[in-house]
Amino acid sequence: MTPSVRDVLQGVAIALSTPPSPDAGVAFDASRTGLAASLAMMAAAEGERAAAAAIAENADIRALFAAASAHDPDGELAAAARQTDTDLSVPALDAANAGLRRRLIALHERVEVANDADFERKIVALYVRMAEGRRLALGLG
Amino acid sequence: MSAPIATGLAAYLTRAWGEPVGIEALSRISGGASRETYRFDAVVGGRRRPLILRRDPPGSLIETDRRSEFLALKSFHGRGVAAPEPLILEDEGAELERPFFIMARIESGAASSPFAPDPYAPHAAELGADFFGALGRIAGADAASLPIAEVCEAPALDACWRRELDYWSGVIEADEQHPQPIVRAAIRWLARHPPPPAAKLAVVHGDYRSGNFLHDGAGRMTAVLDWEMVHLGDPLEDLGWAMDPLWSHGESGRVAGVLPRAEAIAVWETASGLTFDPAAFVWWELFASVKGQAIWTSAAKAYRDGGFREPILCFSGWYTARRHDEILAAKLTELTA
Repeated sequence: MTPSVRDVLQGVAIALSTPPSPDAGVAFDASRTGLAASLAMMAAAEGERAAAAAIAENADIRALFAAASAHDPDGELAAAARQTDTDLSVPALDAANAGLRRRLIALHERVEVANDADFERKIVALYVRMAEGRRLALGLG
Repeated sequence: MSAPIATGLAAYLTRAWGEPVGIEALSRISGGASRETYRFDAVVGGRRRPLILRRDPPGSLIETDRRSEFLALKSFHGRGVAAPEPLILEDEGAELERPFFIMARIESGAASSPFAPDPYAPHAAELGADFFGALGRIAGADAASLPIAEVCEAPALDACWRRELDYWSGVIEADEQHPQPIVRAAIRWLARHPPPPAAKLAVVHGDYRSGNFLHDGAGRMTAVLDWEMVHLGDPLEDLGWAMDPLWSHGESGRVAGVLPRAEAIAVWETASGLTFDPAAFVWWELFASVKGQAIWTSAAKAYRDGGFREPILCFSGWYTARRHDEILAAKLTELTA
């Protein structure tokens, strides 16, 4: 997922360690620092659950693939559904997630062409769970 | 304290106005993600003029045309929309090294964050009448007769939707760093279910929403800001963007944090002279969230490409992107039920 927690915290560190520009006013600096603080708080929350959220989403997508035999002519989705996440680092989970999401996009396109409204609703229900699982709470900077 | 820009501004304005100009109280302020914005006073002939400088940054979140923004202000200043008065447009940069424009500073009012809880209380309803009334007046204006028509392409009425969808889906295609199945599903739905032709060709502000205007804290909107994405198109585009759930943070009963949905539409209809088409609006509401996700996708890329230096790009590419995934998933649920 982008930006990663590492990306966010790198930006926070740069924002807090870079001297204000001579043209920046007090209000601009305060706003920028406050935003950096909020991002740090959000990153703390995300750091605690990023791996769990990715594992859950990957499992949810694989479960859908396992039920998609009508739209899986070459068995590619069934094979993907049988895989599990063995490297539980966030970068590895994100890489697996990217592959699963690409297959999910292609699956949804096939389901649309087939006009399979029932299965499309299952995909959209998955989207709702994916979005909820990645929800961020605003930090208190 | 602000030697380079203040010095350049003084030299430029002295040359432009033909008399000595002093620059005082210059400071950068937040104001749009695609241009650097500064407030300053120009002292000329013993008179103090409160002004705003909008200068192109080295890199920008959105490719925008400063001339369009300048001419949009010129089109609506003094015409019931509270657009600040545009004064000088400099395409070459001159003493400031990068292109810029200068406009009058409106002193009466402040912007509120769209992500603050109940940002316009206790005057939300009065402010909502101003907010959706001004949007209606923009939509109702005769676009062809305004200065903005000099620089904006005029699409056919039945091509407005396609042009916008192609542009913003292209942005996602170009800037996406992690696959986004939700917004791609929304893009395909939009392509399969085109809206009817636009009721008229209107000026579209492009970023008309909570947080992009000044208000006096007593229910009056004093300035409409951030015209950098202005173009000509379907008037429902701006209405869909203004009413996107992202801009009514934490509120389900009031769009843009100001008015119940039906009241906002009624105000807009009265001010624009247009009839609201609920069927067409379904398309423009979903499109608004796609456009948002495209902007946040670009922000995430710009944050990374820019060396992680701008916290606002990080916020946009992270929090708002995930919020728009939730909004899009909810809309797709309704559309596929």
